[in-house]
Amino acid sequence: MKTLLAALTLTTAGLSYAAEFPTRPINLMVAYPAGGSTDVGARILAAIAEKTLGQSVVVVNKGGAGGQVGWTELSRQKPDGYNIGFINLPGFNTVILDPERKAIFNADSFTPIINQVLDPGAIWVKADSPYKNVKDLIEAAKKTPNKISTVTTGVLSDDHLAILMVEEAHPGALFRIVHLEGGAHQMTQILGGHVEVAFDNVGSIVKQVRAGQVRGLVVLDTQRSKFLPDVPTTPELGMPNVISNSTRGIAGPKGMPAAVVKRLQEGFAKAMADPEHVKKLEDSGLAIRVMAGAEYDKYYRDMHARAAKYTEWARKRPHK
Amino acid sequence: MDGLQLLLNGFAAALTLNNLVFALTGCVLGTLIGVLPGLGPAAGTAILIPLTFKLDATAAIIMLAAIYYGAMYGGTITSVLINVPGEAASVVTCLDGYQMARQGRGGAALGIAAIGSFIGGVFATLMLTVLALPLAKLALSFGPPEFFALMLLGICLVTGLAGRSLLAALAMTVFGLLLAMIGIDPVRGAPRFTYGIPELLDGVGFIPVVMGMFGVAEILITAESTRHTVIDTRLAAMLPSRAEWKRSAGAIGRGTLIGFFLGLIPGVGAIIPTFMAYIAEKRLSKHPEAFGNGAIEGVAAPESANNSYANASMVPLLVLGVPSSPTIAVLMGAFIINGLTPGPLLFAERPDLVWTVIASFFVGNVMLLILNLPLVGVWASILRLPTSYLCAGTLVFCIVGAYSLKGSTFDIAVMLVFGLIGYVLRKLDFPLAPTVLALILGPFMEKSLRTSLEMSGGDFSILFTRPISATFIAISATVLIVSTLRLATVRAMKQAETL
Repeated sequence: MKTLLAALTLTTAGLSYAAEFPTRPINLMVAYPAGGSTDVGARILAAIAEKTLGQSVVVVNKGGAGGQVGWTELSRQKPDGYNIGFINLPGFNTVILDPERKAIFNADSFTPIINQVLDPGAIWVKADSPYKNVKDLIEAAKKTPNKISTVTTGVLSDDHLAILMVEEAHPGALFRIVHLEGGAHQMTQILGGHVEVAFDNVGSIVKQVRAGQVRGLVVLDTQRSKFLPDVPTTPELGMPNVISNSTRGIAGPKGMPAAVVKRLQEGFAKAMADPEHVKKLEDSGLAIRVMAGAEYDKYYRDMHARAAKYTEWARKRPHK
Repeated sequence: MDGLQLLLNGFAAALTLNNLVFALTGCVLGTLIGVLPGLGPAAGTAILIPLTFKLDATAAIIMLAAIYYGAMYGGTITSVLINVPGEAASVVTCLDGYQMARQGRGGAALGIAAIGSFIGGVFATLMLTVLALPLAKLALSFGPPEFFALMLLGICLVTGLAGRSLLAALAMTVFGLLLAMIGIDPVRGAPRFTYGIPELLDGVGFIPVVMGMFGVAEILITAESTRHTVIDTRLAAMLPSRAEWKRSAGAIGRGTLIGFFLGLIPGVGAIIPTFMAYIAEKRLSKHPEAFGNGAIEGVAAPESANNSYANASMVPLLVLGVPSSPTIAVLMGAFIINGLTPGPLLFAERPDLVWTVIASFFVGNVMLLILNLPLVGVWASILRLPTSYLCAGTLVFCIVGAYSLKGSTFDIAVMLVFGLIGYVLRKLDFPLAPTVLALILGPFMEKSLRTSLEMSGGDFSILFTRPISATFIAISATVLIVSTLRLATVRAMKQAETL
C-alpha cells in the first residue's frame, strides 16, 4: 500500500511537473565557443523559442576539445529538461567512437529531442582546377592513387568519413588525406593552390561558389541544395550510398520524462517554423531540416552505426 | 574597390556613435593600463577581453585594439613623470623623458611623445591601408610549409633578441612549446599530458597565462618597489618650443619608419624598435652627449617607433593570421572568440569589419592625441594613488577576468600559478616573451608542420624545396647563429674588461 501510494504521488508529481514545464529558464548548451555557426543558429533559435516555450532560453557556451567538454557536462546534468544542449552529428559520434578520446559518455547517455540544421557534405575544387566533374576526379584518384591532396575539416570529421565513402564506392580510388581545422583554412589552402580537392559542407562554400572562386562538384545528399541548385547530388551520379552531412540538433541527458521531451519538441518545432528563424538561418547558409520524435531518434541511431563503421575503417586504412 | 574606397566605407562605420564610444572606451582604458605601472598592453587586453563578450565582433575588436595602442601611449606618462616605464616599450623613454621632466620640460616631453606617437600611428595605418590588399593576395601563396617556416622565424627572432643569455631565452621558448603540447593533439585527437584532468584537455589557457606572467607577476614586483615621487607638470608647458620641434621632426620621421618595418616582422616585439630608434638618433646626432640628459629626440624617436610598430604589427595579424607579439596574440584570440579567422580571407569575407577596424585606428589615434595633451594632469593624479590600492585593485580585476573567460575556477588557478612562475623568472632575469609567444604559436606550428608532412606523404624536404619556406628557415638559422656570436662577443668583452 505504501509503495503504491508512493508510486501514485510520484506519478502525479511527474504529471503536474510536466504540465507546468517549463517554470524557470532553460539552459541551451553549445559545445563550441560563441560565434561559430552552431552558436549563431542556437542564438537565433533561443530568441524565438522564448516565446513558444514561455520561458527564457539561455545559450551557454561550453567549448573545447571538439565539443567533448560540453557534451561531457551535458551527459551529467539532471534530466529535468532545464539543461539541454546541441549535439553535432557525426562529430559527436566519433568522439564517442574513438577510443583515444576516452569519452565518459556514449550514445545511450542522451535523449535526442529535435534536429534543427542539416548541412550536406560537398566536394569542391578551385575554379581553375583540372577536375571539371566527379568523374574526372575519381579517375585521377584511381590512376594516381594516394597523390591527390584532399583536405578535410579534421580527423574523423564528417568530411573525413565522406572521403572513405567515396573510396568505398569506387574501389581503387585512393586520396591523400590532409586534415585541416575548419572551413576558413580549407578555403585559403584551396585558393592558394596548396591542396587540390576539399570535402566540406555546403554552408561553408556558398559565398565562394557564387563569387566564381571555387566549383562545387557534387553535393552528398539525397536532394539538391537550395543554395547550390546547379550542383548534382551523389545519387544522381550513381553513388546512392555516399551520403554525408553534419547536423545540429538538441538533446538532453538520458532519462528525461516523455512529457517534458514532448513539450520541448512542440516549443522548438514551432520556433523553427517561424519565418524569422527560417530567414535568418538561410541568410547564414544553414539549411533547416526539422526532425523530431521517432524520426530524429532513428536518425540518431543510424548515424551512430554509420559513423562506427567508417571510424573503424579510418583506423585500419593503410594511409592514415 | 580599391583600398581607399573601402577605407572610406570603414570610416562611415567607425564614425557611428556606437563604434566611437567603444573606441573612446578602449583608448581611456588603454591609457589607464599604460599609466598603471606594471600592467602592460598584453595583460591589459587579456584582462579586458571578457568585457567585450557581449559586443558584436566589430565593436569588440575596435575596443581591444584601442586598448592596445592606448596602452602604448599611456606607458610614456609614467616613464616621464616617475621614471618607471608603464609598459616595456617605454623603457627607453625614461632615459631622456625623466631628465626633461626634472629640468621642468616634462610637459614638452609628453607633448612630443603624444605628437610623435600620433604621427607614427597614422603613418603605419596609412601604409596598412595601401599594403593590405596586395599583401593579402600574396598571402595566399602561403601554404602550411610557409606558415611553419614563418612561425619558426618568429620564434627564433623572439629567442635571439630576448635578452642577455641565448640559453635562458631558448629554455624559455622550449618551456612555452612544452606548455603548448598539453591538451588534445591537434591532428589525431589524442589527449597529451592531461593526467585525467578534464580541464587540461583544452590545454593551458593562453590568456590566463598572459594575465599571470605579465599581470600578477608585475603586481608582485610593483608591490615590492618603493614609491616614486611624481613630478608636477603644468599644462601650459605641453607644447614643445620651436627649437625642440626642429630637433624632433627628423627623429619622429626616422622612428616612424623603423617602427613600421620592424612591425611587419613577426617576433620582433615592441621593445626592439624603440631601442633601435633611440640608438639611430644618438648615432646621427651632432650632440650625442645630450642623450641621457634630457634630449628631446631621445623621447620623440622611440615614442614614434613604438606606436608605428603597434599599428604596423596589425599587418601580419590581419594579412597572414600570424600574431607577432603576446599582445597581438591576445587580439587574435578576440577574433577567434568572435568566430573570425584572421588571414587573407578575412579581407574578402568581412571587408566591412576589417576596414571599419582599420578606420578606427585613425579615429583612435586622434582620440589619444586629444586625451593625452590636455588630460595629462588627470593621468598623473592616478600615479599619486598609493601603490597598495592599485595593486589590490588590479589583482581583483585579474581574478575576475580569468574567471569570466570560461566561467572556470581552473583558469584562476592557472593564472595564479603562472603569476608565481613569472615572478620567480623575472627575479632570475629570464625573458618571459619567448614562453608566451611559443605557447600561442606552438599549436599552429605543430599543426602546420604535420599538415605539411601529410601533404608530402611524410617527406621533410617539402620544407626546403619551396622557396618562401626555405628562405624563412635559412633566415631563422642565421638569426640564431648571429645572436650566439653576438652574445659570445659581449661576454668575451666583459671578461676582457674584468681582467
